[in-house]
Amino acid sequence: MATAGLAYRRRHKRGTILGWLLFALAVLAVLIVVLVPYGWMVSGSFKSSVELQAADVTRPGQEPSWIPRQPTLDNYRNVNRTVRILDYLKNSLIISTGTMVLATTLALLAAYALSRWAFPGRNAYVVSVLSTQMLPGILFLIPYFILFTWLRNQFGVQLRDTYIGMIITYTSFALPFSIVMLRSFLDSIPVELDEQAQIDGASRLRILFSVLLPLARPGIVSVAIYCFIMGWNEVLFASVLTGTSTRTVAVGLLEYITAHEARWTMMMAASIITSVPVLVLFSFLQRYVISGLVSGAVKG
Amino acid sequence: MPPEGSAGREAGRARRRPLGTLRDVTTQPQVRARAIEAAPLATAAPIPGTVPTRPIPRGRGAVHKIRRFLIRTGPAYLFILPAVAAMLFVHYIPMAGGILVAFKDINLFTVTRWYDAPWVGLDNFVQGLNPDGFLGSRFWQSLWNVTFFGAVTITAGYVIGMAVALLLNREFPGRTLVRGIILLPYITPDSVAYSVWRFIFQARIGLVNMWLMKLGIIDEPVIWLVGSNAIYAVMLAAIWKGWPFAALVLQAGLQTIPRELYESAMIDGASRWQRFRYITLPMLAPVTRMLILVSILWNYNAFNQFYVMLGKDPGPAADVPSTLILRETFSTFNFGVGSAMSVVLMGVMLVLTMLYLRALRASERGQA
Repeated sequence: MATAGLAYRRRHKRGTILGWLLFALAVLAVLIVVLVPYGWMVSGSFKSSVELQAADVTRPGQEPSWIPRQPTLDNYRNVNRTVRILDYLKNSLIISTGTMVLATTLALLAAYALSRWAFPGRNAYVVSVLSTQMLPGILFLIPYFILFTWLRNQFGVQLRDTYIGMIITYTSFALPFSIVMLRSFLDSIPVELDEQAQIDGASRLRILFSVLLPLARPGIVSVAIYCFIMGWNEVLFASVLTGTSTRTVAVGLLEYITAHEARWTMMMAASIITSVPVLVLFSFLQRYVISGLVSGAVKG
Repeated sequence: MPPEGSAGREAGRARRRPLGTLRDVTTQPQVRARAIEAAPLATAAPIPGTVPTRPIPRGRGAVHKIRRFLIRTGPAYLFILPAVAAMLFVHYIPMAGGILVAFKDINLFTVTRWYDAPWVGLDNFVQGLNPDGFLGSRFWQSLWNVTFFGAVTITAGYVIGMAVALLLNREFPGRTLVRGIILLPYITPDSVAYSVWRFIFQARIGLVNMWLMKLGIIDEPVIWLVGSNAIYAVMLAAIWKGWPFAALVLQAGLQTIPRELYESAMIDGASRWQRFRYITLPMLAPVTRMLILVSILWNYNAFNQFYVMLGKDPGPAADVPSTLILRETFSTFNFGVGSAMSVVLMGVMLVLTMLYLRALRASERGQA
């Protein structure tokens, strides 16, 4: 009896070790698939452009290599020389931060109203918010362009190729999702807290900022990050509505490759620089952002 | 100030309700349930919503009712007004404008006085949709391309996302780190990720051709980013970028499945596959539904991956509606036709959403 039990346990143990090994291999495979492009990006950013131009997959010994043959920092040093990527970074920073502040504020006020009042027209509003998310972005782009051109010619209001024009544009795209997400966060805070504060004589606005805001901080943070990343990553509108003075990094990055010259090594260096703000923001606040994004996505 | 007209109208509607109906959040079942949870002692009495700071005027006259309504509900309109105004000016009005423009002849010369441009009826639609014309055939081709693209990327993204979510749904050292790393593709900016993939797919200096040559699958470098191969290259990159989101959402869904279900199934002798088929999949159905719907909608907006990897004109075999409309509008300056095509794209998305929702409802009824 005892030996049988022992044998069983040993067999079971061996099964577990094999299982763990397979499991570890599977996880490793997933990680490799995820990380290969990043590895290629980093390696490319340290290669000299001469090395890359000489590379050729057809000639043995001349294939592009993972380890740069003559590692160099030139790509990082000259990253701003052909493409004004640092200006584009500044533009992106201004536009994304502006979007973040404006969209989060408006969304917070709207979500407060949706969460704490059952006013007539509320459901219609929620439906209209959700349905704007379904519409193709390109449908808005053409009227925007016409509207911006018209405003400039008719009233002298310049919106195209200005920070404020881009901030307004991106705010409108960030708003629907932000409102829905923040509302679900505010809904989870008991109304008793509002009542308590109201009995103590706090105004509506005071309740929002002193009572609800601290409690909804994870939600607000994830909405803010979402807005920032949206502004940082957007390509379609930026490709049409930005010009020389507001070009964002998402579009500017593509300028390294022209019809005449492909500056891949510099582009890879610039890619790394472009990703850093997003990755840093995200890893700081990973927990908040993920729970926020998932709840938003699952609830729609 | 709340918009006077709408407040008045709403007040009129409020008048039709029985007198004394509390119009506050606690009439909402889920909020009330939460409120009750939070304050178990107060369950007997109806919980008042928000105690008004000003005394509510009593009285039965219409004036009193309107005043009461404004004091109680007015602030809601104040808070929501900025968002409504923003969305009015940047969503609703432009959308209406976009639909109007689709019926006008607007080009580079008439764009500044777009309201004076001549009405052309359905001409723009005919030009943009006629399958015998150059533009129309490109448009239908682009719709087919994006549908094919979506069918492959969404399916692959879901399957891989599900596999990885199941794989990581257990305790092991370093799980948080692994979960963080697999999110990288999702959070990397589109233009960065697809630029890197464009680099990887280069014919002479690219990683893909290097590996295929080394494995002896090909003898000479394949041109990936031009012609008929291009859409497959973009697909691969898009799957790489897209599956982590599916994995993320499915992971969250997996955590909501009660462990007892699996335990009782194991006692009943259910195999691993049976547990997946009869517990995991049905329990993940709501999440799956939402995920697929969102993915389909996103897919028809697909632009970044094609624009970054293939440029303004991906060629007929890899053109998608967004790139086609963008070229037609901002390179040819045919604003009317561009708008007409985007209106059709919107129609396609609406129809697909409705069909999808209807199919889901039918299948649910079938199961019940």
